[in-house]
Amino acid sequence: MDKLLTGLKVIAGVVGVVFWAASQFWGILLVLLALGIHMVQNFSRMDREDAVKKLKDLGMSAFYPAVGILAAIVLGGLIMALTGYDPINAYKAMFYGGLVKNWHISLLNATPLIFTGLSIAVAFKAGLFNIGAEGQYYVGSMIATWLAIRFSLPLGLYILAIFILAGLAAAAYNIIPTWLKIRTGAHEVVTTMMFAHIATKYSTIFVRNNGGDPAVSKHAYVTDAIQEANELLPLKTIIPGANYRVHMGVLLALVTAIVIWYLLYKTKIGFEIRAVGANKTAARTQGINSGRAIMTAMLIAGFLCGISGTTQVLGLEHKMYENLNAGYGWNGISVALLAGNDPIGVIFAALLWGILDAGGQYMARTTQTPSAVVEIIKGIILFLILAKYLYFWFGHKLFKGRKKAAAGEAA
Amino acid sequence: MKKALLLLVALSFTLFSLSANGGKETKEEKKAAPAAPKLIAAMATDVGGLGDGSFNDGSYAGLTKAQADGICEARVVESKQMTDYIPNLTGLAEDGADIVFAVGFLMADAIIEAAQNNPETKYAGIDIWVDPATAPTNVLGISFNEHEAGYLAGIVAGYMTKEYAGKSDRLNDDNVIGVVLGMDIPPCERYEVGFQAGAQSVNPDVKVLQAVAGDFADQAKGKELTLAMINEGADIVFQVAGLTGMGVIAAAQEEGTLAIGVDVDQYAAAPEAVLTSAMKGITEAAYQTIQSVADGSFKGATNVSLGIKENAVGIAPYHNFDSVIPQEVKDAVNKAVADIQSGKITVPASRAEL
Amino acid sequence: MEFVIELLSATMRLATPIALAAMGAAVCERSGIVNIAMEGLMLIGAFFAAAVALATGSPWLGLLGGVIFGGLFSLLHAWSTVTLHINHTVSGAIINILAAGLTRFFMVEFYGHPGSSDMVQKTLGDLNCAVPLLSKIPLLGPVLFDQSPTVYFMYFFVLFTSFLLNRTKLGLHIRAAGEHPMALETLGISVKKIRYIGVLYSGLLCGFAGSFLAIEYGRFFTEGMTGGRGFIALAANVSGGWTAVGSFVAAIFFGFIDALQLKLQVMGIFKIPPEFFHMLPYAATVIAVAGLVRRSRPPADSGNDFSIEKEM
Repeated sequence: MDKLLTGLKVIAGVVGVVFWAASQFWGILLVLLALGIHMVQNFSRMDREDAVKKLKDLGMSAFYPAVGILAAIVLGGLIMALTGYDPINAYKAMFYGGLVKNWHISLLNATPLIFTGLSIAVAFKAGLFNIGAEGQYYVGSMIATWLAIRFSLPLGLYILAIFILAGLAAAAYNIIPTWLKIRTGAHEVVTTMMFAHIATKYSTIFVRNNGGDPAVSKHAYVTDAIQEANELLPLKTIIPGANYRVHMGVLLALVTAIVIWYLLYKTKIGFEIRAVGANKTAARTQGINSGRAIMTAMLIAGFLCGISGTTQVLGLEHKMYENLNAGYGWNGISVALLAGNDPIGVIFAALLWGILDAGGQYMARTTQTPSAVVEIIKGIILFLILAKYLYFWFGHKLFKGRKKAAAGEAA
Repeated sequence: MKKALLLLVALSFTLFSLSANGGKETKEEKKAAPAAPKLIAAMATDVGGLGDGSFNDGSYAGLTKAQADGICEARVVESKQMTDYIPNLTGLAEDGADIVFAVGFLMADAIIEAAQNNPETKYAGIDIWVDPATAPTNVLGISFNEHEAGYLAGIVAGYMTKEYAGKSDRLNDDNVIGVVLGMDIPPCERYEVGFQAGAQSVNPDVKVLQAVAGDFADQAKGKELTLAMINEGADIVFQVAGLTGMGVIAAAQEEGTLAIGVDVDQYAAAPEAVLTSAMKGITEAAYQTIQSVADGSFKGATNVSLGIKENAVGIAPYHNFDSVIPQEVKDAVNKAVADIQSGKITVPASRAEL
Repeated sequence: MEFVIELLSATMRLATPIALAAMGAAVCERSGIVNIAMEGLMLIGAFFAAAVALATGSPWLGLLGGVIFGGLFSLLHAWSTVTLHINHTVSGAIINILAAGLTRFFMVEFYGHPGSSDMVQKTLGDLNCAVPLLSKIPLLGPVLFDQSPTVYFMYFFVLFTSFLLNRTKLGLHIRAAGEHPMALETLGISVKKIRYIGVLYSGLLCGFAGSFLAIEYGRFFTEGMTGGRGFIALAANVSGGWTAVGSFVAAIFFGFIDALQLKLQVMGIFKIPPEFFHMLPYAATVIAVAGLVRRSRPPADSGNDFSIEKEM
């Protein structure tokens, strides 16, 4: 019975995720089913008292974010109402746009953010702040574009090679900052950020040298298109209902998140990375080489950013643009922290970010709300979702008052 | 704890989308009821957004002008990232727009894709070149001959920095002028090249300094570059740098030299320091395109390149400097206008042609 | 000589906003709060400096407005990190989003359009004043002592911050809050209060830096005019080993390379793509950090959440 349920859970989860990713919205119902089965399984193993306690905990922990989201929505609505916009219509547009109408845009926004978010999360686990993810993203994009314009091989083998090479190049881009960190203690916040600026500035020159030279090219400031054989397959080749722009990179991102989770929590090197991040001295007494663990974490972080850029180039854009304000590296920081550096959490945080972006655009377009208002509301929503202590704080105040009153009565 | 959070997030997604689904139906009903006969003109900005003082603002001014004249209803959406281009251009059409403007060369691919998906809607790309052989018939590419405006500004600067340097105490005898670019992108480069060609056509030994700020919003960089140019002897600096260029004008104002504005008449920014401005009529072009849709004369799968001949680019009035600039200079500018119109002069458009 | 003087005074101008914000970062980080919100705080300061200066016609009131609003906005960061225990980096990132959105929103509300504000007629930059005697020193005189007011303020704040951190009781408490918050708490001093002070200090100085950009260096508020200086200031503070004087030196170094880069571009000696010039300050910083900085150590408890309930 238990095995059957587990099987059902896995199938429902996987199928649900795939269809959800393919803009089939009912996929989420399957995912919910899988989560439900999982909880039933867990509870059936516990005795009555534990189960009740667990349920209570669950209820409490769900309560605060729920209040946070609600409070954010009310507050944002208030701002809109005060500045002369119709909050109800605007919110309808935001959620309809982000979750239904332009769900595929939310997915496309989230895909690179999952990779960069994972990258920053892995570095954080080792106690490092990979603030230069943007630069590694650019390095990956450039290498992928360069390779994909020039060569191609059948059977997708070459695509795999591009992913690996671009990832390795981006990982290599982290070697110097990490080496400096280990040898001289030069802070990675400074070095990786400077490296990021260098890479983004250099990308302009790269674009011009690869077909974007305004003096000779009709499509100035954009590289030549990559060869068609190197484009990632659209998701609709396996799921007919999917939006034509959604590509296999979405699934790759989901799989990568699981791989990273496995790597961090189920392997020796993952353990070492976490040990060094948690307490360097304690890790050393256990015989862990902290330098090696840090280097490994930063190489993985760079690799993830590299394949983030590769996915964007091969899957979505099929060329590289000059001056693109991607910001996936910078936003990945917020995504990782929103997810508490949990690889699986990164998926949801990136989705939330993507939904707010896509929904915000839809809202701005259909209700003619200025983009500034959309940005402010986005900020408030993120703020209040995170501020779980806000409710403890208010609760604390409330209880304090009551206790005092009670104490007064007793006296 | 974590699982509960996941569950909650998933649940709230579902709930919201269900309620949003409900919202959609009522919205469509509402839309169907009053059928407005008016044209709807919409535009999507590139990631630069409104307030760039250039393409985006200019196009939007054209839309609002047409709205004020009762030709159309104006809508605008500001794109946040590259992935927004196609949904915005497509979405504006789906929401009922008759003509959609895509602003900025980064949208060149997006506009073609959106136009193919919405054959009933007209598309116009500002600063976008479309391939007439393959482009769908509902898309029009509009670009400007900024180099022609730059050329006229160059003539004024070329004369004033040397021959008539005595006319104003803001000029010196060093025979050096400068141009500050925001970024090295096509419209900026066209202005710069035209400016250089214009200055050298009347003053072959003039030294034209050039620098790129690397940003369209960093006033401090613009100012510092201008100060460096002034130290090198430059007395007239042409700003082609959007908001960064406000720093160029500020530096000229403070150091007692001159600046030339860009895109629109920037006289008001510093009346004593702005010699003139190289202008392009984005607003007028957008306005006329809307009109062409209204009267049915819109023609797609083509490119229009608007220059002096179409009266779409030129230089601003001289305002405070009207009495300072000698008639000979004004005549030379007018002659250049006539020569460009008649085709006697072809102004180079890229550094390669210079 | 002329060239060197021009280069060095450009260095001072370019370094001033970075140095001011880096002083704020030094105090804030030493108190245990990571502040990547400085970019947003500067932007808010810049906007309100321009707005107040435009409304009142007085650049000094504009400066005051910029400083006050920078400080007020920083309290949001303090509240969210100290009281609400939100992760410092996340709070900073959100404040940066909010600052960009708010300034844009206010632009539309106040001036009817996004982009750039009206021109400030009278700015602090017009009040350029050479210090008597000192400005006559060859080379250093015109570079250091023939500047606009905020540059002098910057010197003052470098000394003041260094004094505050190293010579005062409050400074001792600030450093303790970042190193051993629990020890400080057992002495009966509120870590929360000290950290609020640290963040507020950085907010006031970021407001100062923003005001400098809007109504002294420039004459307008333009959206996004801080151009990443808040992050550079953070980098300066880290490469300066979390000390006031070190941060100042790092800011000067960065300003120098930036000034050099701009000068070289204008002189047109090297015919290379301009992007190589734009890279120069960043590359130089990496080299400087690699070569000069030896094992500087961040405050032990910086970036960590502190709540007594949890510690006990």
